[in-house]
Amino acid sequence: MRTATIQKSDLGKAIDLLVQADLRVIAPRLQPRLEEDGPDAIDVLTLVEVKSGENHQVGEGLLPLNGVKEFLFAKHEPLFAYEKRGKKIDIIPVHHEYPRTVIVGVRPCDAASIASLNAVFSDANAGFEDPFFTRRRERTTIVTYSCTAPDASCFCTSVDLAPDSSRGSDLHFTEIGGDLIHVEVLTEAGEAIANLLESLLEGEGDQQQREKAGAAVKEKLTRIRDAAPIKDWLDNLDNFDDEMWERLGEKCIGCGSCTFLCPTCHCFDIVDENKGSKGYRVKFWDSCQFDHFTLHASGHNPRDWQYKRYRNRFNCKFKIYPEKFEQQGCVGCGRCIRGCPVNLDITEYMAEVAAKAAG
Amino acid sequence: MTIAKVIQEAPGIKTFHLKFQDDKVRESFSFKAGQFAEYSAFGAGESTFCIASSPTRMDHIECCFRQVGKVTTALANLTEGDTIGFRGPYGNVFPIEEWEGKNLIFIGGGIALPPLRSVIWNVLDLRDKYKDISIVYGAKTVEDLVYKREIAQWEERPDVNMVKTVDPGGETDDWDGHVGFVPHVLENDFAPSPDNTVAIVCGPPIMIKFTFEALERLGFEQSQMITTLENRMKCGLGKCGRCNIGSTYVCIDGPVFRAEELAALPQEF
Repeated sequence: MRTATIQKSDLGKAIDLLVQADLRVIAPRLQPRLEEDGPDAIDVLTLVEVKSGENHQVGEGLLPLNGVKEFLFAKHEPLFAYEKRGKKIDIIPVHHEYPRTVIVGVRPCDAASIASLNAVFSDANAGFEDPFFTRRRERTTIVTYSCTAPDASCFCTSVDLAPDSSRGSDLHFTEIGGDLIHVEVLTEAGEAIANLLESLLEGEGDQQQREKAGAAVKEKLTRIRDAAPIKDWLDNLDNFDDEMWERLGEKCIGCGSCTFLCPTCHCFDIVDENKGSKGYRVKFWDSCQFDHFTLHASGHNPRDWQYKRYRNRFNCKFKIYPEKFEQQGCVGCGRCIRGCPVNLDITEYMAEVAAKAAG
Repeated sequence: MTIAKVIQEAPGIKTFHLKFQDDKVRESFSFKAGQFAEYSAFGAGESTFCIASSPTRMDHIECCFRQVGKVTTALANLTEGDTIGFRGPYGNVFPIEEWEGKNLIFIGGGIALPPLRSVIWNVLDLRDKYKDISIVYGAKTVEDLVYKREIAQWEERPDVNMVKTVDPGGETDDWDGHVGFVPHVLENDFAPSPDNTVAIVCGPPIMIKFTFEALERLGFEQSQMITTLENRMKCGLGKCGRCNIGSTYVCIDGPVFRAEELAALPQEF
């Protein structure tokens, strides 16, 4: 597909064009994480819906606190409503909006995570589709923006990605110096967005310059691990009881932060939220790090110690996702490292496994 | 579905007979022995139980559950005529065609008889296809045994060998069964021959472990042992992420597992 260039100073205009095309536009913006936090709250880079290009941070900073996950896999959503009428129950469908959405300024790690989520929620997994996810996915276009300043927690190159990867992207932007951004149209959905931006696009992009810019940023990554031996090591059942799990996992407090920040974690719970004679059956994010997550009614718990819950998380990323879903479980965004209150570090596990695998 | 009948099986344990409210759903519904479903008390949520009735008896569907938490307490408070939610059937099935011409031993403990009961009635309704059928079932006390009236029926049948037991201290003065834990009674009192035999085991994880070990000492190969697991589940569709043992999801790869399949998994169930 085609390439072009756009001026970085025109990104605000680009957002305006998308908003004017009646798209729901999601972009990174510095603001309090919640509106309710008030004017004194600390600003955090957050992906939010924007109504104009006046105030955005596309291409600025590093990663928004939230990934694209919450715009595809809702944090909390009703499956249906019910109302009790004597001995009968009325099931009432709940109307969900699926607006055509474009998420602008998505970092390559987050874009790569979408295929992983899709593998879980689409009917490719056991023939069952989560229609809430797939309808949103179908109506969402991803505009990625190559990273320019990875931080010390980033490790995308250790998991087969790079700061300028375009995997999972429809339209990919890479800064190539000065005010100039190289634009790659990668899919039909990306072409539709490019057409809306036509008045801001110019000529053809210089692919060589774009590769050079990407390679230069890749050099800045400092956290580099060898993930290649991990799957084979985990496949050896003897290593399931390796002393490493308890030693490294001992400090985990089971808060679940890593799982809620993770762009590929997909676990959820289903409960009834009831008031009087009516309510909703709702699905919402859950975490394999919570002790009751696997607790049986009998009191038996297959993952009865916290280190076993973290062992499950590590196995999910480096064994279950590749084996069962044929996708990568970890995209190296580093959110779980930055967000952990006790400095538990997934790359420390990766390094230990690589060392053990090497003998 | 509508609760057509409630049976108090044992202290804290109830059976529901359930009928579909929608005729079209009733006509199109089918399942096989071994499958499970999500049952819900509206306002409290969903719980996972096996389908405890046999697919050869489709007048109604049965479930059997112990009142333990929020959902099962809400379910236990429902009465005949009330509506409950039902999603299913989910999961894989017992390979009953593979068992044709073989001796079958069903081994269960406590609240683990319901998953076996579905397949027991299934094979009894196709009795000619199988050789000897034995049932080894135990509970903590005589009072805790479920399906007491059906245990009596199985004892009376000449084509079923019923071995019942209660844990030491759980017996009553008029108890005419064995006294001892299920794996112990199986190995020492019943001691079945492994020849042309399949053992179908259901119980808490610790019982499955000791029963498999007892069967191996009796000469059973792993290929002759099969079980059904009931990890905590929510979606039943391989998505919510809590029932996995390694890369194996109990809800879609199970709940029925052969002993050799379990041996190849991380021992975390």
